[in-house]
Amino acid sequence: MNELALIVFAPLVAGALAWLLDVKGIKEAIGLIGAAVPLAYTAMLYERASEGISFAVNLGVFDITFRLGQLNWFFVGIAVLVGFSAVLALVSTAKDSYEWLFALMSLSGVLGVFLAADLMTFFIFWEVMTFASFMMVLHYNRSASLKYFLLSVAGAYAMLIAITFIYAKVGSFDFGAVQTVFAQDAYAKMLGGQATFSSTELMALFGLFLVAFGVKAGMFPLHVWAPDAYSETNQSYTSMFSGVLSKAGVYGFILMYILIGTRLAVEFGAFRSASKFGYIIAFLGGLTIIVGGLLAALQEDIRKLFAYSSISQVGYILVGIGVGTALSMQAALFHALSHALFKGLFFLIVATIVHRTGKTTFADMGGLAEKMPFTFAMAFVAILSLAGIPPLVGFASKWVLFEAVISQNLPILGGMVFFGSAIGFVYLIRFTYAVWFGQRPTDLDDTKDAPLPLAIAMTILALFNVVLGIAPGLVAKELNKMFGKEIIGGNLFVLDLGFGKYNALAILIYLIAGLIVAAVIYFLGAKVRRVPVTDTYQSGNPVTMDYNLTIRRNFFLPLKEALAFWLRISFDRLYRDIGAWVEDLAEVLRNYIYNGNVQSYAWYLLIILLILAMWGV
Amino acid sequence: MISAYYFGAIALILIGFYAVLVKRNVLKMLVGLSIMETGVNLLLISVGYVSGRSAPILSEGIGPSNAVDPIPQALVLTAIVIGVATTALALTIVINLYEKYKTLDAEKIRRLRG
Repeated sequence: MNELALIVFAPLVAGALAWLLDVKGIKEAIGLIGAAVPLAYTAMLYERASEGISFAVNLGVFDITFRLGQLNWFFVGIAVLVGFSAVLALVSTAKDSYEWLFALMSLSGVLGVFLAADLMTFFIFWEVMTFASFMMVLHYNRSASLKYFLLSVAGAYAMLIAITFIYAKVGSFDFGAVQTVFAQDAYAKMLGGQATFSSTELMALFGLFLVAFGVKAGMFPLHVWAPDAYSETNQSYTSMFSGVLSKAGVYGFILMYILIGTRLAVEFGAFRSASKFGYIIAFLGGLTIIVGGLLAALQEDIRKLFAYSSISQVGYILVGIGVGTALSMQAALFHALSHALFKGLFFLIVATIVHRTGKTTFADMGGLAEKMPFTFAMAFVAILSLAGIPPLVGFASKWVLFEAVISQNLPILGGMVFFGSAIGFVYLIRFTYAVWFGQRPTDLDDTKDAPLPLAIAMTILALFNVVLGIAPGLVAKELNKMFGKEIIGGNLFVLDLGFGKYNALAILIYLIAGLIVAAVIYFLGAKVRRVPVTDTYQSGNPVTMDYNLTIRRNFFLPLKEALAFWLRISFDRLYRDIGAWVEDLAEVLRNYIYNGNVQSYAWYLLIILLILAMWGV
Repeated sequence: MISAYYFGAIALILIGFYAVLVKRNVLKMLVGLSIMETGVNLLLISVGYVSGRSAPILSEGIGPSNAVDPIPQALVLTAIVIGVATTALALTIVINLYEKYKTLDAEKIRRLRG
């Protein structure tokens, strides 16, 4: 039995067994084993990832092939780590065995996507992943799941058309063969020869892949499914959904670079210092950051807030991929890892809050830090990491990304990513304050801390957030292996880009020293005044009661009013209107054409016969 | 120059079709259908006709080389039976329609159905 097959199929088999047995205690154990096997094997294969392991099954019509290289190992590592934590959290939040089946099935799907070595395998596992996650959402909310399903199907068809298109011309699904053909095309184009694909076909291919991977990654304007789907399912599962499954879209974009990037770059030329097609991806990524961030700030529901924030963070990764230098690619991969870590952690925290209080809106919460100290500590780590505060992993990855964008002199994209970071603080302060501090509603007085499985899952992810944050060199080493040369220099604690350095250890030491100084001042008796919650000011004036913006209700109402014009433009509404319009059109056609009058059907027959006669059939 | 057989047969089909398209009485539509069937059968038969040859029955002095094409005749024999069967079924439906709606006007029946 090959290790790769075990990694991919173990969760699926475990999920099916858990669903069939459906005994309390046993199904949890089976599910955990199913998620732990890929984790163990991925850790064991770390040494051998560079030599490249393959696995193939012949299904008669086509082969299912897997290959493990450095890049695949990196993504598989993210998937098994966050996936294992999410499955562990499911132990305390899963409603029934149905969820075990589909959560593990989607883990199998995403592992298959990351390990696929040909386009057909990639597509099959992509669909397994989509189907399983759709079923997870369907369990909680039908309309959200249908929205997700529709957009996913549009993406999947786009990908299928692109794949058949490539197969028709290349004659092989294998990544290596496809890559070779496109590279040869690029040379031929450069020397003015004949290429296999014309430039119109290439543009179509690029557009199709953009739609296919953009849907899964939650790229603007295809992001509309994500807020609903992320918030309307088991929140433990969402940590995998947002942390890992959205990375499948990111992986797809990187794959697009690997397969047809050379040809695209040659064909469409450059825009400023990025390639033109990459700039399109980066610009859409930038819009994703801004739109996701602003909408996250306006949400009144915790789950929705993090769903939008998740979209916003994936935007960073897209910017990194789009800029397309080796450094920005590394930054994108680094941010993919850190996003999976802190966003997985965030959704586990949300799962804990929802599990323990049963409430989801800010208005019903407050003062939970005293009641759930452990969860609060975890939330503290996650908040620092997402906001990008050293010495956590979120800072390191964002810093590399900013440096990558700035070093390429791309002012518009730079402005977008910096704006995204600022807006990140805006929505995080809301979460920090409204949930953990302030006055506690009396019905939350007997809230307990996180159950053990959730606590362990959170601890795993939080540890990785801290460790990889203090030692970003660990990640940098992996990324450099992928590219085969040292792009991010430095050692275990220092990232050195040649034009900038980030020393995580030094910053950690300064931080601890600063905290000690602050503690000394506090305990020596600094003047302290207890601030009541109502002590808020607006431009230096006390707030009147008729404009009551507490942190828990309408805190960002002024922002909402300022953005009123832009909020009227909503892609979600646009898609819904298009859907309603199509339905109306179909209804009208049905009424006029299929009208129940036999004689009009006879007329249609006559008309068709006449048309055929004129054609000379 | 189109032959008289073809012209007549296609004219019958068109006449029947005209009745189906524009008549409002259900019985008249059925009459139109029957006329169409007749036209189709005639057309089928005339396709297989070879001028100057006799019926395809092997007997004294008539071999395969001087008989008309037998295949359309077999087809038409089947088609006639099918036509009669469909007409009979349609007529039962017409009787039921009249019992239910007390009219045979297709427009009125549709209005009564709602």
